[in-house]
Amino acid sequence: MITYALETSCLTHRFSKNEIVLDTINLQVPHASIFGFLGPNGAGKTTTLRLLLGLLKKQAGSITIFGKEFAQHRVSVLQHTGSLIESPSLYGHLTAVENLSLLQKVYQCKTERIAEVLKLVGLPDTGNKKASQFSLGMKQRLSIAVALLHDPPLLILDEPTNGLDPNGIIEMRELLQKLNRENGTTIIISSHLLAEIERLVSHIGIINKGKLMFQGTLAELKQKQDQGVSIIFETNETEKTIRILTDKGLLPLINNGQVLLPAVSKETIAELNRLLVDNGVDIYGIHKSSNDLETIFMDLIKN
Amino acid sequence: MRSFIHSFQSEWLKKKRSLASWIVVIGGFFTPLIIIIARLVHHDQLPQLYSNPGFWVQLWNNSWESMAIFLLPVGVIMATSLVTQLEYKNNTWKQLHTVPLRLSTIFFSKLSVILVMMIQFFILFNIGIYLSALVPYLLVGGVSYPQAPIPLKAFARENGLFFIDCLPVLAIQYLLGLRYKNFLIPIGAGFLCWILAVAVISWKYGYWLPYTYTMFNFLKGQTHGRAIVPPLNIHLLAISYFVLVTGISYILYITKKEKG
Repeated sequence: MITYALETSCLTHRFSKNEIVLDTINLQVPHASIFGFLGPNGAGKTTTLRLLLGLLKKQAGSITIFGKEFAQHRVSVLQHTGSLIESPSLYGHLTAVENLSLLQKVYQCKTERIAEVLKLVGLPDTGNKKASQFSLGMKQRLSIAVALLHDPPLLILDEPTNGLDPNGIIEMRELLQKLNRENGTTIIISSHLLAEIERLVSHIGIINKGKLMFQGTLAELKQKQDQGVSIIFETNETEKTIRILTDKGLLPLINNGQVLLPAVSKETIAELNRLLVDNGVDIYGIHKSSNDLETIFMDLIKN
Repeated sequence: MRSFIHSFQSEWLKKKRSLASWIVVIGGFFTPLIIIIARLVHHDQLPQLYSNPGFWVQLWNNSWESMAIFLLPVGVIMATSLVTQLEYKNNTWKQLHTVPLRLSTIFFSKLSVILVMMIQFFILFNIGIYLSALVPYLLVGGVSYPQAPIPLKAFARENGLFFIDCLPVLAIQYLLGLRYKNFLIPIGAGFLCWILAVAVISWKYGYWLPYTYTMFNFLKGQTHGRAIVPPLNIHLLAISYFVLVTGISYILYITKKEKG
């Protein structure tokens, strides 16, 4: 039984002898998942996606898509894959319909599908306007239409919301969620809009400096972070706060003038609050460190 | 084979409204149009010209002179480079290389489109040559239709030879166009080779430069010291160059590490 729609094993890539861009990446993208692929600039996201599509020659490791080794079954794998890598790939001298027509001939899908996908991405009436005259947002929408044309069960999208206005981003999110929900389309999406990714994905992979730092469900990532969550005390006397908490057998740390404590129960927080007040410490605030994707991402990258 | 046909249809659609497709049409009718204008200007000489038994051969030579020396090699350089540059210019190599086609299918369907464009050019040019005979006859009074029959067989053979002689230029430009993102490299290299070809046409080893072949084919038998007579069959040489360069081009294309 095939567990993953896409799997890589020890995928390693170098641009030169001393420059490892990807270091033994073992990516596992479950069937019918929306897999957010995150990482800072230069982390290796686009290189990974380009390797997955055969745009870069594989140097080491293996890529399996729908149970087939990519190198041996390139054509049949690409038949079931739609993609958008970085900037839009469109023929500027052709109209939206012509851009899709030339791919329709290759994929041999129904001609009616062209109008369908143009409607899906919100470009039903561009008429004779050439793609070069489109705005960046329109180009991006047309590129997504290209990726969807043959109704592929796997979509690989690198920064698909680039150039889209806020409304366009919401529409795109709803479209991808609908495809995933109704057709079971597996979607791998990279984006630098962390809040957007958090709303969209079911699974996440975080890459930094060519190494995969985390992969799993969004819930697993948050759970993992919860274990390392801190309680932050803002007081008028940092040193005194540290001393009191240490005497209590805890292990406080100072960060930016604030006192950080490893996660404790609600009851302990109340008890510590009383203790500090009784010892003459003024408390300005007690709160948990943030647990949104942005914070988790930054923590992982820093670590 | 089916995927090749689908790929060819797709490639054919890409050149719609492109500069390359205009070059084919404009290039095909440019010389005939000049001839028509020249004949209308000198209309008083037309009755004598049209009654000449060698009318068609003379028209053929007039039409092919500028074509063989200048327009055809330069047109092939331009059109081939423009077709391959469509992908670089539009940043579409990465899209093309993620469609379910073998790399060989993409390579040969693109090459076939250029070859068919060449055939299209030859057909348009031949129609143009015929129109350059017909239009002055229809517009100028007192001119009779040429009595001499059109030497169709000889013209078809000449068309075939000119086509073969273009093939190495096409293959070299195709290789450069696929290899280099910068449009100036294939165009610049092509123009330099063409200038070199004009310069070496009277040199005894000039025939080794494939850009000379359309010139040699036109000048054969009427060299008058303008060109050497190649000691080898240049048409066979042209086919050999075409096969060799296309083979090299194919290997370079499929082994390219980065495909868009």
